Parts: sequence; structure tokens; C-alpha cells
Amino acid sequence: MASQGMHSPVEQFEIKPLIELSAAGFDVSFTNSSLFMLLAILVSGVFLMTAMRQGELVPGRMQGAAEMMYEFVADMVRSNVGSEGRAYFPFIFTLFVFLLFGNMLGLIPYSYTFTSQIVVTFFMAAFVFVGVTLIALFKHGLHFFSFFVPAGAPKVLIPFLIVIEVISYFVRPVSLSVRLFANMLAGHTMLKVFAGLAVMISGAGGLAMAGSLLPFLALIGLTGLEVLVAALQAYVFTILTCMYLNDALHLH
Amino acid sequence: MVCKMGTNMAKSGMMRCLSLATGTGFGLAVTGGQAFAAGASEPGLPQLDISTWPSQIFWLIVIFGVGYVMMAKIVTPKIGTVLEDRRTRLDGDLGKAREASAEAAKIRAEYEADLEAARNDAAAFARKAAAEAAEKAASVEGKADKKLASKVATAEKKLASAKAEAMENLNTVAAEAALDAVKGLTGLKATKAQAEKVVKAAAKAMAPQEAN
Repeated sequence: MASQGMHSPVEQFEIKPLIELSAAGFDVSFTNSSLFMLLAILVSGVFLMTAMRQGELVPGRMQGAAEMMYEFVADMVRSNVGSEGRAYFPFIFTLFVFLLFGNMLGLIPYSYTFTSQIVVTFFMAAFVFVGVTLIALFKHGLHFFSFFVPAGAPKVLIPFLIVIEVISYFVRPVSLSVRLFANMLAGHTMLKVFAGLAVMISGAGGLAMAGSLLPFLALIGLTGLEVLVAALQAYVFTILTCMYLNDALHLH
Repeated sequence: MVCKMGTNMAKSGMMRCLSLATGTGFGLAVTGGQAFAAGASEPGLPQLDISTWPSQIFWLIVIFGVGYVMMAKIVTPKIGTVLEDRRTRLDGDLGKAREASAEAAKIRAEYEADLEAARNDAAAFARKAAAEAAEKAASVEGKADKKLASKVATAEKKLASAKAEAMENLNTVAAEAALDAVKGLTGLKATKAQAEKVVKAAAKAMAPQEAN
């Protein structure tokens, strides 16, 4: 069947080099994944700059949307990190825009979803994790380790609680990256499965053609759901980053 | 094929369920093992083909880095400036409006005060005018009353003297008539003095009756 043009639902995640490159013994080819990372940044940058070009006092629709995105992230940083988060706002904003546009562009047929790559999401999560840990160490020094001792716990329980706290701290990059990766992977696989099913049933011909309507309708609903998931997961990744940053700056 | 899709679905469904829990790492390890065993050409999860990882990490760093610089240096300052300008403009306009409103209130208060003063002046003036007029009227009326009273008094005096004169004349006429009558009827000669005496007595006797 696969040879007759039917694709595996995970084939969409394959990395295809577009420009072969290598550096220091590593394959650093510019791939479809890289292309969509670049597109996410370019599209968001061009959109935001075009929308803000006039900088009107009374914003139009485009400018309103751009300002809404800015205010959305600014509010998120302000309410979750406080005034000290100001310095990190550009990073948080870039993160949100990068993920949002990456997820959204990935929903366009024949495009590529780089957030469905565990290595990408894990590297981002690890960067956030290492970053906030370093910020915490620089800001609080050794006092940072009091973060792992819950306040007001009975003395007997403290050793166990420290173990739990340390584990939960180090699991953060894993949960952060896997949440985004798994949502994208599952969503896009499901879309492909239903699309493949519709094509397969319609291929049977005759009365079976009508039956292909069912997975097709399901596909429409799922696409709507995936738009929601795309926006939601970008938001979740960003707000969790804000929370980790807040923990680093304020130690609870 | 269907079977394969089924396992993939189950896998992805499991991932999604587990994604909220921290234990997802284990699920990953299992599928990862399968993928490595299957090799790159077999349909495993392409995400777990580590040969693609260096390139993805490299381009993520480059593109995100460039994107960060772009957002930090160009995009967010631009949006921030526009929002800040709007805020200052609005605050300025609000301040101006507040000032203008205060000014208007002041002018209004002044106007009201002026109006009140004018109203008081007018009322005082009207009261004064009314009082003067009343006084004038009273004095004029008093004069007129006096004049009238003196006129009435003179008229009454005149009337009284005329009446007395008339009475006197009447007595004389009556006495002469009585004298003539006595002379004609009796042939007796009565003196004028006698006649007048009688008439006077008669008049005196009638006077109280007239008064009634």
C-alpha cells in the first residue's frame, strides 16, 4: 500500500535537507524544518513591522492585532514576573511569536511544523531551564538552594520533600518540551490519519465514496481544534517560561 | 497499513495523555528504542533520528538568535514607542481637558457671582425706588388731604353762614307776613318788635322738631 502512494502518517515529520551543509564534522544542512523556523520569524517580523509602519494614534485592524500581541505578552510578563521581568520581555515576546507562528504555519497543508520536533522543543526548554537557573544563581547565590526546601514543612519530612522538589525542578525542561512536542505530533498525526482515511475510502469508489465524507468532516473539526491547540501551546510554553523566571527572580 | 496507523495513533494518544505528567520521558524512551531499531528508512518517528539533530539545533540557534535581535532591537521598541506615544498623548489630552474643564468651572462661578451681584443690585434698586415712590405718594396724598379738608371746612363755614343768614331773613319775612296778617284780620296794630318776638319764639319751638 505504501508503494501505491499511501503515506505513513508520520512521514510528514521527516527532515528533508534543502541545502546540504556541514561544519566541524556536523551535518548542518538547511532543511524544511529550518525553512519554517525562518518563515516563522520572517512572517511574524514582516507582519508586525507592516502593521506598525504608520504607528497611528488610532490603530487599524492590522496595527490593533500587532499591539494586541504585544500587550498580551507584556501583561503576561507583568502579572507573572513583575517589574523585574521587563529586561526579559524581548526574549519572552520572541519566544511566543516564534512558537505561535511556527505552530500556525505548520497547519497550512504541505508546510512543516518544526515544533513537532522534540529536539527543537527540548533545546528551547533546556535553554530556558539553564537560563533561569543561572539567573537564580547569580541573583541569590547559595541562597538559591533554599528553593528546594518548602517553608513550614515538618522537620521529619524535609529530606523527602527536598528529593521531590529537586526531581520536580529537573523535570521542568522535560515536561515543558514534551508538552509542546507531543501536542503537535499527536495533532498532526491525527490530521494525517483522518485525511488518509478519507482518501482511502473514496478510493474504493461507488457507494463507499459517500462514506469518505465522515472522516472528512471529522478532519474539518480537528483542524479547528488544532488551531486552538497551536495557539494554546504557544501560550502555555510562554507562560510557563514566565513562571520559571518568576521563581528564579523571587524564589517562590 | 491500518494496523500501523493504529499503533501510531495509540502511541500519539498515549503521548498526549502523558504529556501533562512528568513521566512522559519513559514513553519517549520506549518509542525511541523502536525507532533506532527500525532504522531511518523504516517508518519510525523521524523526530528520533538523531542524525538530523545537529542541523536543527544549529538553525534554531541561528534563526532564533536573529529573530531575538530583530524583535529586541526593532519590533518591540517600535510597538512600545507607539503605545507610549499614545499613552502620553492621551494623558496630555486628558490633562488639557481637565484644565479646560477647571477653567470653564471658574468662569462659570465668576459669571454666577456677577449675576448674583447684579440681581442683588437690581433688587436693592427696586426696593429703594419703591420706597421713594411710596414716600412721595404719601406726601402728595397728605397735602391733597389737607387742601381738601380746608376746602371742605370753608365750604361748610360758608354753608353755615348762608344758612344762618337765610334763617334770619326767613324770620324777618315771617314777622312781616305775620304783621300784615294781623293787621288785615284784626285791624289791630302790632308793632314790628312784637311780631319778631313771636316769630322767634315759634322758630325756637320748632327747632328741636326739625332736628329730629
